[in-house]
Amino acid sequence: MEIPYIVTPRKDTGLFNSKIAIWLFLASEVMLFGGFFSAYIFLRLGADFPWPERTLPVLPGLINTFVLIGSSVTVVFAWAALKMRQWGRFQIFMGITIACSGIFMGLKGIEYYVKFHHQALRLKDYAVVEGHLGYKVKDGVHVGHGDHPAESDFATDAKGSKIEENVINFEASSITFNSVRYERAWVEAMIARAAEKKATITLASKLELQSEPGKQVVFAAGRALDLELLDAIKRAHLAARANNAALRTENLREQWAKAKEANPGKRDWEFAENVVVDQAAITDRLMPEQASIAFNVEPATSFHFRPRDIQEAPDSGALRDGTALKGKLLESPMVFHYVDAIDFRHLVMKAEEKNISPEVAISNSWLLKENPSLKKIWDKQQVALAQLTKELASHGRVPTEKDKYRIGWQEMAYYATTPIDQVKITPGKYAMPKVKEDLKEEFFGPDYKVREAAHSFPHLSVPREEILFASKFAPAWNTYYAIYFTMTGLHGLHVIGGALVLAYYLFCGKKMYLSNPEWLANRVEVGGLFWHFVDLVWIFLFPILYLM
Amino acid sequence: MADSPEAIQKSLRLYKLIGAVLFVGTVVTVLVATQPFLDIGGHGFDVWDMVLGLAIASVKATLVAAIFMHLNHEKRLIYWVFGCALVFAVIMAVLIGLAKWDPIHYNGFNDGVPGSETAK
Repeated sequence: MEIPYIVTPRKDTGLFNSKIAIWLFLASEVMLFGGFFSAYIFLRLGADFPWPERTLPVLPGLINTFVLIGSSVTVVFAWAALKMRQWGRFQIFMGITIACSGIFMGLKGIEYYVKFHHQALRLKDYAVVEGHLGYKVKDGVHVGHGDHPAESDFATDAKGSKIEENVINFEASSITFNSVRYERAWVEAMIARAAEKKATITLASKLELQSEPGKQVVFAAGRALDLELLDAIKRAHLAARANNAALRTENLREQWAKAKEANPGKRDWEFAENVVVDQAAITDRLMPEQASIAFNVEPATSFHFRPRDIQEAPDSGALRDGTALKGKLLESPMVFHYVDAIDFRHLVMKAEEKNISPEVAISNSWLLKENPSLKKIWDKQQVALAQLTKELASHGRVPTEKDKYRIGWQEMAYYATTPIDQVKITPGKYAMPKVKEDLKEEFFGPDYKVREAAHSFPHLSVPREEILFASKFAPAWNTYYAIYFTMTGLHGLHVIGGALVLAYYLFCGKKMYLSNPEWLANRVEVGGLFWHFVDLVWIFLFPILYLM
Repeated sequence: MADSPEAIQKSLRLYKLIGAVLFVGTVVTVLVATQPFLDIGGHGFDVWDMVLGLAIASVKATLVAAIFMHLNHEKRLIYWVFGCALVFAVIMAVLIGLAKWDPIHYNGFNDGVPGSETAK
């Protein structure tokens, strides 16, 4: 079948049909991205925290801008080559375009990876700490700052991966599972942990259940916890629920029929509330239900849970799968192996709302009061800030909030390795002093292995009660990262989609080129229009997310 | 539209030129944002940096739309389609922006969240 108006223009529109189609699609895309840009403006104006200006590494974003602009040029060239019937040139330019999209997504991937592995923490006083957490070592292994434990010294979770030092430690003397919802991996982890600590987890009391009506199964008190036991109890419990529900329904139907007979001529709703299950009639046929299963832990043993899995109290805990713990909450600090930034901007904002001077608020912050190593770094920062303030004042300018209240990783590394009497800003740079980053660090952030040799980053243990909110630099951290991931993620999906379509023209277009080259040229033009639109969106995304 | 091979050959030079302008525009945006001697307005990011950054971005976007996407000589129907989309996008932005003038007290997104500073 021949498709009309894919090569020749329609008389009334003057255009070939696919072109109108792509413009209609781009129009809907304009409104889609327009909505997200509006959301960005709204979130920024309405932010109740200091918006993190110029917080992303510029170099990867800059390269990505070059890459997209370059690919926009090459895709036009590829189209022009087809128009001039030069298949070889088309292949080259389209190949470059697709390679560019690969570079773009590669860099984006690195950027996302770094964010998702970088820890952020907001303290109760609104000071912010950034860095990397340490990993839990096995009980009995002692590690000093700067020591490198062997891989075999690290504690592992049920999946065998290392556990970041951000866990709730709870010494449980009793564990009560929900008999339907228990999370198998967590049960296995508890069994393994108990074995490691030479403790036993045993059924607290004898359970007499039925696997089917009249068929007794008995679970003796003192039976060790394993998944088979839980599964058997779960089956008996569910069988009982099904059996009992059926009995009640059947009985209710009988009661209803009787009530209908007893109330002739009455409407249903007039007697419905008096119709109830006759418990006495079915009692001897009900099977025992067991909604929860209690176990004793002997001796009481410390288990660790990810903060999002547990709601803890001093003497109890509730896991997300409905498991209830009794015992004692232990110290559960969050331990940063490397603190690579501290930021007081949010704290200052909160202090100013209460008419407290920033200096007083900062010097009273938990970070500076309780951590001498950070206090030392802060004192050096103050020396540098005085110099910067003086230098800027000669031009009638003042330091930014970021200069004043944030110590980024490069500044941190500088202060940590420079004695206070040698702290000095570089004249003419109008910036706080910082170490130079090498090329790899421009993409991946600080290279801890190298920087550690000079003790560039302090260690920090934060008690649980000081923590307001902790997260990786993921959408949850704040609305800036939420909109950053939403917009760049959506844009990235467009890059992938566009590249797939263009790659299809490149690798599967030869046949069409030989039979109907103008059709292929029109297809490439339409694909190119989409590609330019993707470039156009990035032209705005780059400055607003990276430079503003 | 430039459809004959000769006309296309000619427009290739224009595409290269526009590509170069886009590169330069990007470099200027980054330099202005990162180099102290080019920092306009006050020290660091402020409204003038924003105005300049968005102005350069708008020029770049216009060039891409006009030249690469051939909007400088397109059929009227497409102007209508694209124009309507732009208008609706702007209306949406304005409607969202109206929230700023909402007479109902607005106190950030933590307003009323238990445990947050602004909870009442």
